[in-house]
Order: sequence, then C-alpha cells, then structure tokens
Amino acid sequence: MSEPFQRVPGGIAVDLPSQLRHWLAESAKEASDDAVTMESPVHRRLLGPIDPSQDHDDPIVELQRQFSVEGSLGVFIATADAELLSEEEAEEWIRAFQLMLAAAAARFAIVDEDDVARLDEEQTAIVTTLQAGISLLIEALEA
Amino acid sequence: MSQADFEISPESGTSQAVAVPWEVILWNDPVSLISLVVRVLKKVFHYDQAKAERLTMQVHNEGKSVVWTGDKEQAAAYCVALHGYALNATIQQAQ
Repeated sequence: MSEPFQRVPGGIAVDLPSQLRHWLAESAKEASDDAVTMESPVHRRLLGPIDPSQDHDDPIVELQRQFSVEGSLGVFIATADAELLSEEEAEEWIRAFQLMLAAAAARFAIVDEDDVARLDEEQTAIVTTLQAGISLLIEALEA
Repeated sequence: MSQADFEISPESGTSQAVAVPWEVILWNDPVSLISLVVRVLKKVFHYDQAKAERLTMQVHNEGKSVVWTGDKEQAAAYCVALHGYALNATIQQAQ
C-alpha cells in the first residue's frame, strides 16, 4: 500500500480515497462557513481578537486573518482532488487541516485533555483523521 | 507604536521614557500535534530546532509560553502568522 503523501519530483504526490477527499472538502467548506458566522464557537476560535483586552482586532488585522483562513481553506477545496501538490499547496493543506481540526475542537467544546478523552467514537475519528493527515503531510514535506 | 506603549522610568523620574515591549503568547491546545507546533515556530520565527522544541514543550507542560517579545506591530504580525496555522496565540504588553 502506498503512502497517502509522498515526496516525488515536482512536489507531493497524494494518494487518498475519493470518499475521504470528499469528506475533507465538505469539512473545509463547513469550517469556512462557520468561521464567518459570528455566533459560532468556530468563529471565536479561528477569528477571536489576538489581544484579549480588546473586543475586536484592528480592522486591517481582522481582514488579514479572515483572508488567511478563507485562502487556506479555499486552496484546499480547489485542490482536494489533486494527485500532485506543489510545495506551496501542500503547506496550504497543512494550514487547512489545522483549521479544520481547530474548528472541530471548537464544535466539540475541547478545552483540555479531559475533553479529548470524553469524545465519542465519531468525534474521535474526526480528530485523529485530521491529526494523521497533518503528521503525514509534515513527514512528506520534510523528507 | 502608540504612546500607551511607553512608561516613565522610575529610576530617572520623568525625563526618560522606556518602551514597554509586547509579548506573543502561545497557549496549549489539546489537539495540535507537537510536531506541527515545532514546525510552525521554526517557520514563523526562524528558530532553530532546539529552541522551537523547548518552547513547544513549555507550552505543552505549563499551558503557555512567551514565544517572542518586541514591538506591537511585529508581535501582531507574528500572532496573525501563528493563527494562519490555527494555533491559539495572543498578544499582551509585558508586565
């Protein structure tokens, strides 16, 4: 069985089942939508103020962060079916997986290790799948 | 840097203003992988492997770490870069 991510001439080869790619793309869309929904815990986690003593970031900082989140998730959604990623796209996949992971953690109200321990089977599978993807992508990029 | 970033030095009375630095604080989060945090600290701050690992383990064991100190604009820029990887980072003026 081949590696899901492998360094090859020209970039990072991706070998993921289509069902998993579809699920990841849907997760990315969900994270992107929730990030801009003010009352969502995902919005607070991904776009809460960087200075907790303030209610809002500086508007320029706010825009930079929103573009960054939308950009990484957008690149992932656009390339979810790709069989070969450039280095830059692979880096965006790591960012996107991390954003999806943080979004899932916010939805599951994970604050500490005890919260991770009480996750149900499906929630645990979501967290561990995303963590595995990040770990394997890092390995491939650093190979 | 705004005027609020300066305080009067107690040693010198009113004649000398001292810049109060800002800190980038990285908070522990129970789902981000240690390998990811080390990689991001190396990438964003250009820290070497040993320093990135030391700071990451401080975050993991103590709940947080001051990962950079300096002027407010740069602190905000670094914090935004960490958020690009969904890491839980904030800025605050040094105590």
